[in-house]
Order: sequence, then structure tokens, then C-alpha cells
Amino acid sequence: MNSSHLNPSSSLKSRFTTRFLRALTRINARKPISPSSPREIFQRYRRIKVAADKSMASSVRSRRTWSRATLWKLRSRSCLQLASLGRRRSVKTSTITSRQAIMKKTSHEIENKTTTEEDHQDRFVGQADKLRELVPGGEAMDLCNLLDETAHYIKCLTTQVQLMRKIVDFYSL
Amino acid sequence: MEPNTGTAETRSNGTASDGDDVAALESLQFTDEIHRLISATTTNNASSFTALLELPAPEAVELLHSPESAKLMAAPAPNIEDFKASFHFPSNSGLIERAARFSLFAGVGNNNNNTSNSPETPSNNPSANPQKAVKSEPAETESSEPLVSDPTVEKRCIKRKDREKKVKGSTKKSKTAMNESSEDAEKLPYVHVRARRGQATDSHSLAERARREKINARMKLLQELVPGCSKISGTALVLDEIINHVQFLQRQVEILSMRLATVNPRIDFDLDSIFTTESGSLMDSNFPSMVMPLVWPEVQVNGNRQQYQQQWHFDALQQAVWGREEVCNNYITPENSLLSYDSSANSATLHSNQMKMEL
Repeated sequence: MNSSHLNPSSSLKSRFTTRFLRALTRINARKPISPSSPREIFQRYRRIKVAADKSMASSVRSRRTWSRATLWKLRSRSCLQLASLGRRRSVKTSTITSRQAIMKKTSHEIENKTTTEEDHQDRFVGQADKLRELVPGGEAMDLCNLLDETAHYIKCLTTQVQLMRKIVDFYSL
Repeated sequence: MEPNTGTAETRSNGTASDGDDVAALESLQFTDEIHRLISATTTNNASSFTALLELPAPEAVELLHSPESAKLMAAPAPNIEDFKASFHFPSNSGLIERAARFSLFAGVGNNNNNTSNSPETPSNNPSANPQKAVKSEPAETESSEPLVSDPTVEKRCIKRKDREKKVKGSTKKSKTAMNESSEDAEKLPYVHVRARRGQATDSHSLAERARREKINARMKLLQELVPGCSKISGTALVLDEIINHVQFLQRQVEILSMRLATVNPRIDFDLDSIFTTESGSLMDSNFPSMVMPLVWPEVQVNGNRQQYQQQWHFDALQQAVWGREEVCNNYITPENSLLSYDSSANSATLHSNQMKMEL
């Protein structure tokens, strides 16, 4: 893998690696390394996972719906955490209502499609819903764009897994 | 397709085309002919660009790359049906072949497997069946925009490729289907999807069909992405496979981050400085030699560190090494339980650099 080549996928890789490693550094620096208790390990794991997802999504730079949705989700989650600390409910309710709005829109779209189209959509509705759950931001998309997003999402996930595996291998040697 | 051309002849109204074509098969003259035909027959030039986006669907990649040409395709597209109805194709096979040679006849080269090479299609076309010439006529309509027509005709021909046989079937028929579609084309400006034989021709089903083809194209892309999916036939199974793959990848990310959480606590990433100071060539030359000796227990840390100091002169790296030394001693045993080997802090930083280089 050459990061020096002008390959969009390699630049994605390098962007992801830099961000992720920086985040890992921050995580390691913040917590003075005490991995003995499983709870702490779990916390680290959560943070690392969030960092991985976040760095992946920011490498894609919100060009894609799923990356925007991931970033939005992470930011709202951090907002929620702050809000829960500060005992404020407004943030929570706003996120919930926006989610509901999206869900309503999606169901409405699906309704339209099944009435106008032939059995094509019916074949896919069950699985499309599953896919919508899996792909972040997939709730408010029609099948066509959903497949597009899934393709890009799979590509980025494979890159992410590849790079993370490399990192793990290097640090476990 | 020979009988087809015969029938086309019989219902001709463009008798002049014969003489013109034989005389000088310049694309310009041909386009003049076509333009005449255009003016002769009532054509709807108002075409919707919205439906366009569904037309070139079968090649999603091309769609992504050249949406503009797809849009331009809209304008001449509705004329296809009209031409089919009114255009008579000269029986002169030589004419057909020469006409086919022009890049605008890219659509003819469908059956010759071209998906993305418009420059190839002109060479293919002479050998391409003159039978397809009837279909290729509409391709000529785009001669007014020769530059942009190539990718657009490609797209259309790619779309047509999926339905060659069916269109053949329809052309072999008495053209009633064609008439229907042409009528539809006149009535409804959005339609530029050709109706197949025995298929409904109203705009809804056509739009749905175009959309379905778009979705099928995307499914094909996904099949290529997901390993082991290309053998599966049937969209439901493919979707299942895709869903499983996405779940698998997400689980992999979780597992790897868990591993990172357990593996890495002793490692102090001083990567910012490493990234800023690293030079690729330096890494490349030094790493392969340095990595091998480094997979040693910490006992050898001192010796290694000195080596690093000599070779790299990274102040940050040195600090990281020293800082890590104290930490390493405490966490070797948990690491041993987790991993099969023991690794030194130095090797860890070196590996990070190596990984950066590799990546």
C-alpha cells in the first residue's frame, strides 16, 4: 500500500490512519494506562470504537449520507452525555423528535412505493429495512440510494477493518 | 433483421435518404436527413431530464461520472420512437455499414460487449449487424451533438444491450409495439424508455422499469463488492448476503477495537511528532533491517534504543522510548497472557512507523 500514490482510496486510508492514530494517542494519554479492570477495558473499547467510527466518517468528509449520519449521531450522543450531566432534557427531545420525523418520512415513502410499483419493492422491503438499520443514515433513503450508500459503506468498512487489523498486528508483535 | 428492414422500406417516407446516403455518407449529410425527418414528423422536443437519470442506470459507474452527458441525452432521446416509426432504412448494406462506422452508431455495438469504450464501437460497428441499423438510426439523431453524444449513446446502447433480444423481437413484429411507444413518446414527453414487446407502455411502468434496472445495476455492483456473492442468483439471497457481510464487518470493527483496547495500553503513541518528522525514504531503508531484531524481549531495550538514537535522531521517539520503559515492565505479564509474544516498546514505535510507511 503506497500512501504516496495519488489514489483516492489510498488517501482515504492515510486520512483514516492519521486520524485514528491521533485519537488513539489521545485516548492513551488521557487514561494513564490501567487496563486491569474489565470495566476500564470496556470503557477504552467503547472510546476506541467511537474514535474509529468517527475517524472513518470524517475521512469521508460528509460526502456520503452514512458518514454524515454517523457524525451527527456521535455528536448528538456526546451532546446527550453532556446534557445528562447538566440535567437538560431539551437536547434529548429534539433528537428524538427529529428521528421520529425521519422515520415517518421513510414509512410514508415506502407506502407510496408499494402502491405505485409492482411487486418489485415488495420483494425487498423486509431486507431493505434490515439494511436501513445497519447502514447509518439509511432510514430516510429510497432503495436505490440505499444500495449506493451500502456499497460505499462496505468499501469503507473493509478499509477500516484492514487498517485496524494492521495496527493491532503491529502493536501485538 | 432483414425482413425488418424490408418492412421499414415499405413504410418509408424518407425516400430521399436513399439517394443521399449512397451519394456521400458523410455524417453531416446524414444528420441533415435526420433533421429533415425530425421536422417532418412531429416530435416532441420537450423532454424531461428527470427521467433521464434512470435511463443510463445499467452502468452506474458511468452514471456517476458523467451526469451531464446523461442530461444531454434527453433531448434527442424522444425522437427514437418517432424515427422508428417513420424512418425507412435503405436496403443498401454498404450504406448501412458505412453509417455504422460513425461513432454515433455506438449503440449498434452492444452485442460486442462494449461497456465503456466508445472509440471502439466505431470499429466494431462495421462488423456489427446491419440488422441493428434500425435501432442505430436513433443514434444518428444525436449527431447534432457529436461531442457529447458518444458517452450518451454509450449509455443508451448499454441500456439497450440489456434488452437487445427483446427489442429485436419487437422490431421483427409488425411494429405495432413501436407505434405504441412512439405514440406514447409523443403524448408524454418524459418517456424515452423503449417499450418492449408485450410490455405495458404507460409512463408509470416505464419509469418503474427504468428504476428497477437502476436498482439491478447497483445490486450487481454490490455483488462484486461482497465476496462470494457473484455466484448467488436471486436478489433476495444476494441481499441477505450483503446484510450478513455488513454485520460481519461491523462486528470485526468491534472486535478489533476491543483488541486495541487490551493490547495497547502500554504503548504511548507519539505519533504526531513521528508523522511530522518522518521521511518516507528514511523509513523505507531502515525499517526492514531494523524490524527483525526488534521482536525481542525487553531485556534488549537498551541496546535497541541506542541503535535507534544513532539511526533516527528523533527526539520525540527517544522520549517516548524512555517513558515507555518504566511502563513496560509492569504490563508484560498481562500482555503475555493475551498475546503469544513479548514485545519491546521500541519495537512498538518502530512498528507504528513501519505501518505508517506501508500504509
